[in-house]
Parts: sequence; structure tokens; C-alpha cells
Amino acid sequence: MILADVLRDDTEIKNTIRNIFFEVFPNMSEADFSWDKEQKDYPAWDSFAQLNLITFAETKFNITLSLEESIGIKSANDLLECVHSHLK
Amino acid sequence: MNVTDFLKNSAYKFPSKTAVIDEEKKLTFKDLYQEVQKFSSSIGSVNKSVIGLIAENSISFIISYLGIINSGKTAHLIPFEISENNLLSQLRSANPEFIICSSGAKQNLSKYSSIRTPLLEFGEVSSKPIQNLDNFKTNDLAYLIYTSGTTSEPKGVPITHAMMEFTTKNIIKVLGYTSSDVDILPLPLYHSFGLGCLHTSLCVGSTLVLLKNANNLEKILETTKKYNATTLAAIPATLTKFLQFDKKVLEDYFSTIRLIITNSTSIPTETVKKFKEILRNGHLATYYGLTEASRSTFMIFDKTNKRENSVGRAAPEIRIKIVNHDNNSKAGEIWIKGNNVIKNYWDNVEADKRLVDGWLRTGDIGYIDGEGYLFLLGRDDDIINVGGEKIAPHEIEEVVKQLSGVEDVAAFGVDHEIFGQTIKLNIVKSKNSNLDKSIVLSHCMKNLEKFKIPTKIDFVEDIPKTDYGKVKRFMLK
Repeated sequence: MILADVLRDDTEIKNTIRNIFFEVFPNMSEADFSWDKEQKDYPAWDSFAQLNLITFAETKFNITLSLEESIGIKSANDLLECVHSHLK
Repeated sequence: MNVTDFLKNSAYKFPSKTAVIDEEKKLTFKDLYQEVQKFSSSIGSVNKSVIGLIAENSISFIISYLGIINSGKTAHLIPFEISENNLLSQLRSANPEFIICSSGAKQNLSKYSSIRTPLLEFGEVSSKPIQNLDNFKTNDLAYLIYTSGTTSEPKGVPITHAMMEFTTKNIIKVLGYTSSDVDILPLPLYHSFGLGCLHTSLCVGSTLVLLKNANNLEKILETTKKYNATTLAAIPATLTKFLQFDKKVLEDYFSTIRLIITNSTSIPTETVKKFKEILRNGHLATYYGLTEASRSTFMIFDKTNKRENSVGRAAPEIRIKIVNHDNNSKAGEIWIKGNNVIKNYWDNVEADKRLVDGWLRTGDIGYIDGEGYLFLLGRDDDIINVGGEKIAPHEIEEVVKQLSGVEDVAAFGVDHEIFGQTIKLNIVKSKNSNLDKSIVLSHCMKNLEKFKIPTKIDFVEDIPKTDYGKVKRFMLK
């Protein structure tokens, strides 16, 4: 794969994950989203929201996350890394 | 009074009027009564009190059913497409002397090597001179049906003549059937819904038009028009399928209809709303009931009543209560008491535990609003518990059905390591639909609380259902 494809794919993955966050947290403003922001900083990120983030990611990328992976996701970045590891 | 007394009265009042029409012939009330008497004379002397009956909808079915009852026996009504195992289990329990059947049914059953009960085709029941029926022993039980089993193995439900009479008179009182009606029945007669329609027609002296296939929508429409029918019985799924036709076409075909009666599985509210518009000269109505407690509520969806998702209020002289062990919720198990409720199951002590001081614990979950309207939420066993949040599958299904491209859907609980259960959807897509899982999830996210979002979605060919159209959720898990 050439570098342009890698970059394009990475951008698509990032966009998809970003969109997942806005679907799961519909009241979140653009300014409130950050890749590094952690679960504890999202008032609406409870266990059900976690479940929905995982479900959306599994569906959009056609992957299956293990229980450990699912529990370990604490930020958008964590989800991005997890998805990357499955798509390698 | 038993159901043949209904026929006898109508034969006296309307001897030359057409009582029943099937896809091959028709009979007047007088001729039907005579055929029934002949039939009972032929079987009146058999030893056992139960006789099986399995056939498609036909005049022969009606003659046999009424003939069995008229001879003082109990009719064991067997679903036409019954599996070998289910039939074997029913025969062990009901122990009929023999099974009366159509040629089609005999052909099917002859493949079942484990079945030893004799099979008699309609034509093989010899015709004897009509005997004095006073010689026949009387029997409190009219018929025996094994429940279709949405949650477990079928149970025998014995229905007495008194229950049948009580229920029939309630149907007539609430839904206003008269001898002027022409009733289209495409539902099987071996189930409580179809059978109740037969009893009603015989009681009021209306004309009953039998069809064999509830999925042949064109035939139902043509028959409705041909006979200027005034009522139609159909399950909710059939009504929803009708909506594929142009509204003007349906308005035209249903212009003589004063009543479409459906039953207690959930009806999409959109279907109710559309039928309110289509039936310019009539109403859509539904009822809630079980074989064990037939027609316990009625709901007529008139233009002013906006409760499109209710199954109505308790039928006359029937009591309904919600039994709830959680003070924070208005929903609970539906209990029913009245003369339509069985006294016991057929030889089933375990099932009899559902009967408490005359109340039937239905296992269905619902609530009653301030004006006495009952709303169903699902089966007790069907409720999905996601991390302590209890969810009725019906609510999820209603939302998913709003999506274009969804022909049918079932929601049910699947085990989950953390939450105990999460929600899975099985979806049947419409032809040529490009629906994908992401669209379904996004739609759920927009329309449901976050603990109600499904975690798994499968696209499937079909969803297992009973003949009533109830989802067999235990088969999905």
C-alpha cells in the first residue's frame, strides 16, 4: 500500500470514529470532542454509552472486540488504536 | 347450550340462508344442520370421549367439528402443519379414539411413522340414519386445543360449552355481529381466533366465507368484493402486508366492510392509523386473549380514540388486573378472571399453577391506564434485562419497523458477560432493500434510550412465529 492510501484510510477511520462519538453522545458539541479526552471527562459516558461505542465500532468496521479490549477503551484515541490493531 | 344449538337455532330461523361457503361449495343452515346430525350419528357410539380433527378450512371441517360435539364428544383440534414430535406429544396427552382428517392432512400424517392413532378421511366416516341424540352421553367439554407455545412446550387447553357460549355472546355484544353480516375467514379453524369467528357466525346466523390461505391477499380482496363482505378476520401481519397495495384500491375493496377484527399480537401503530383511513364505512378492532381466556378485552379503533397501541378494555363480566411486585413500575403480569377462563389445563398439574382462585396468570406483561385501557408490553419470559434495566422487546421492534426496508423484526435478549443480557435483533429485509446494520443502529440511537440499543443484528430469511403471528422467542435465543 502506498503512503497516500495509508493516510486516506487513516483519515477515514478517524472520521468514522469521530462520527461514532457524535452518534453515541448526540448532545456533545464539536468543541467538546478531543482524541485524548478521557471517559471520566464525558458526563454521559457511562457503561451503556461504552457498550454503544463498542457496538458501533464493531458494526462500522466489521470487527469483534474482546471483553478486555472493550473494558480498556477510555478515550477516542484508545478506540482508534484498538480498531487499528484489528484492521492491520 | 353448545355450539350445535347455535346452528340448530339458526337453521330454524334461516333454513334456506347460506350458512357457509368454502372454496368448492356452499351450504344452507338447514343442510348444514342435517349434515352435522348425520355425522354425529356415525360416530356417536365410539368409546373414547375425545376425537381428533385435522384439516384445512373447509365445510367438511365444520361438519366434523360440530358433529363431534353434537355426539357428546370433545374435538381435539390439531394444527394442519403439525410436526411429528408435537403430534405425538398431543396424542399421548389427549388420547383420541381416532383422527378425522382431510385427504391432504392424511397424506402428511401418513409420513409420520410413530403415529399409531387411526386416521379417517372425511369420506370414510360412514353415514348412518340420524339417531336420537338423547342417546349420546353429554360432555361438558367442547374442544381441546394445545397452545401454540410461544415460550415452552404446548399445554392442553380444554374449553367447555359454557366458556364457548360466554365468549361468543361477548363477541356479538361488543362487535355487533348480526345475521346481515357476511364474514370472511382466512384464519385456521383449529385455533381459538378462527373458531371464535365460526361460533359467532353460527350464533347470529350470518354467512361465513372460508378461505384456506391468509397469505393470498389478492384472493381475500377478491372474495371480499365478490360477496360484499361486511367483516374480515386477519392477524396484524396480514393487515400490514395489505398496505403494500394502493390506498385507493384498498378503500374500494373494503368499501362494504364494517369491521376488521384482528388479535392481540402487537399491531404497528402506523398500520392502525392507515386502516382508520382506509375503512371509510367501518372500524378496525382488536382483542386480547389466550386460548385459556379467549377474548378478554376488546378495542375498537374509532376515529376519536388515539390509543392505537392499546388492546382495549376488559370484555363484559371479565376482570383484569396487573400484578406487580415492583412499586416503582405500573407494569406487571396480566391476570384475568371470568367465565371465559379455563378451570384447569388438560392433565397438567404444573400448568395448573397458573390458575389462582379463578385468576389466570397469563405470563404477559402490561399496564392499564386511568381509563381502563390495557397496553401489552410482552411476555414475562421475553423481557430483556440489560444491566438491571428491563426492556420489552415490542418497544424495540416498533422502532425498527419504522425503518424503510424492514419487513419483519424480532428483538430478544442474548447473554452478556458484563450486563447479564444485551439486545439482539433478527431482521427480515424487504426485497431489494439496501438496509445495513449501521443504518439500523443509528436509527435506534436516535429513537431509543441508550440501554435499549441492540448490540447484535442479524439479517435473516424469516422469524419463527405461531399461527397467531406471535414470535416464538424461545427459538431465537
